[in-house]
Amino acid sequence: MGAATRIATKDLKLRIRDRSAIIIGIIAPLTLAFIFDLVFGGAFTQQLDLEFGLVDLDGTEISQGLGDVLEEVEAEGVLVLETFDTAELAEEAVEEGVIDASILLGEGFGQSVMTNSDAGIAVIGSVDAPTSTQIAASIAQQYATGIEAAQLAVATAAAASNSQVTPEFFASLTTDPSTAAFSYTITDITTATRQLDATTYFSAGMAVFFLFFTVQFGVLGLLEEEREGTLARLQAAPISRASIVLGKALLAFLLGIISMGVLVVATQLLIGATWGAPLGVALLVVAGVLSAVGIMGLVAAVAKSPEGAGNLGAIIAVILGMLGGVFFQLGSGDDFLSRLTFITPHAWFMEGLANLADGAPWTAALPAVGAIMIFAVVTGAISWVLLRRRFIR
Amino acid sequence: MIAGLLEPDGGEVHVDGTRITTRTTAGKGNIGLVPQELAIYPDLTATENLRFFGKLYGEGGSELEKRVDEVLGVIGLTDRRDDLVKEYSGGMKRRLNIGIGLLHRPRLLILDEPTVGVDPQSRNAILESVESLSAEGMAVLYTTHYMEEAERLCDRVAIIDEGTIKAEGTRRELVSMVGEKDRVCVTAGGDLAAATEAASFMEGVAEAFHTDGRIDVLTEDASAILPELLARLGSAGAAIQGVEMVEPNLEAVFLHLTGKALRD
Repeated sequence: MGAATRIATKDLKLRIRDRSAIIIGIIAPLTLAFIFDLVFGGAFTQQLDLEFGLVDLDGTEISQGLGDVLEEVEAEGVLVLETFDTAELAEEAVEEGVIDASILLGEGFGQSVMTNSDAGIAVIGSVDAPTSTQIAASIAQQYATGIEAAQLAVATAAAASNSQVTPEFFASLTTDPSTAAFSYTITDITTATRQLDATTYFSAGMAVFFLFFTVQFGVLGLLEEEREGTLARLQAAPISRASIVLGKALLAFLLGIISMGVLVVATQLLIGATWGAPLGVALLVVAGVLSAVGIMGLVAAVAKSPEGAGNLGAIIAVILGMLGGVFFQLGSGDDFLSRLTFITPHAWFMEGLANLADGAPWTAALPAVGAIMIFAVVTGAISWVLLRRRFIR
Repeated sequence: MIAGLLEPDGGEVHVDGTRITTRTTAGKGNIGLVPQELAIYPDLTATENLRFFGKLYGEGGSELEKRVDEVLGVIGLTDRRDDLVKEYSGGMKRRLNIGIGLLHRPRLLILDEPTVGVDPQSRNAILESVESLSAEGMAVLYTTHYMEEAERLCDRVAIIDEGTIKAEGTRRELVSMVGEKDRVCVTAGGDLAAATEAASFMEGVAEAFHTDGRIDVLTEDASAILPELLARLGSAGAAIQGVEMVEPNLEAVFLHLTGKALRD
């Protein structure tokens, strides 16, 4: 271990002297975190104000069902609802930006539902408020789906009693299906899924993204020693060949820890990032650095030259970073992209930090730490076998 | 293979009684390696380079510092010891490359073409250093393409061609092994044909021939026959203007052995 330490110490001196590791490991991620927070930070905290209109030209009990539900949601403070007498007034309000979108229930809507024929719902939306318009359309779609389900239930009941679907048949039912056509639930997702604030998100994202570049300086040093001819001199010395590889891995680990440590402290002090429980953060950092060493060790083992390894390492670091959501989150909820992102240690790192948010204890990070360690152990073991074959024969 | 960088296809390497392989560390401390390519860190100073490799060979403390000072003196870099190596000239880098191999006082120093691409002053300094180390009792294994370096430095020479040792021995043994002879070149005027014929009948002369203004005589020992040869040439009508004795060199031996020019 003494020889490995000496090699790592020598390389650390070289890296500090040429400043490349300091620039990549500290200055670049800190600067980008600051810039991203400045430019995109507002998007994280921006409040979406929904202002909807409703035009009920039908005025039946069935059409009023939608209005009743929207008024209840308005009472919850989720949206602001304004009713209009005509479609023209609603359209004018949308054009003037008074409201974002309006839902239009035409004349004869209730009759159509009760006679089991087509009933139309229209949505007028502003091009300047695409998100709000999409939400209004989703509400209308949800209501229409409920109506279709109710129509199907009524038709089934009529068929069972050999009756026609008429307003009279509707009236004979003990429960009016149209009132049960539309239901809603308002859920506070922040209580179920913890979220990082923008400053911490970008700080952590940039730190773990550049970590993979920083660690490269360590493991790729083997290829540089080989090219510069100093590897032969090291191999001729009375030290084990394994200690040469271990020395490079130790340097990579040290550079990673120093980079992440400085970034955690600097982003807290300079831009107000809140990383969470120190022990949890420390475990995430150590696991993250080990996984980076393992992955970049693989790159060093398969590359033929330092330049080739640098290029390959950069490609892998960028792909993993993008996929891992260090710049922006891929997908939402439980879709394919959201699940795909967890094939990267980056995503687990961000997940672990999110779990530490809002004062959660350090143990909240343990599942993510475990997942990252799996990356570290698997890639580290493969790297060792390949590097051993190449450098420790 | 001798330094433990490669496994031999066959046989074993022992240095000072210890078997050397790629996996063993024992015995490697007895070997100093000076690779052909510069094996130094350009972003460290000469002192830092020496100190780093010294520690890998188990040196340390004040003893290491003292040894670093000594080696810097030997390779003539004391004044530049704290400058980054990347600021050195090619010759200075070569000298440091050798200094690192010397630092731990090896029993065997392996020098792989240490003078390739260096200026004449540095080359001479390197050769003088090697002569000095050899005189101090260090075994030196010197690889070179320059036959004059081998003749100047080496007690024994092995000629390798295409991975095979073609011949091995002292310079005199190699020369006699291949039958190369001393050559006496006489620059002269007058009747060169008669003088050449007179020389060719002398005892100890293997062959004599003449070209424009010059007579060449091949013999086993030029020094032994020179006085009588000059007397006979004069009496046979040659007006002697100059004499040069050429002993067969290793390049001639190499060419004789391989039939080819020197190659990588």
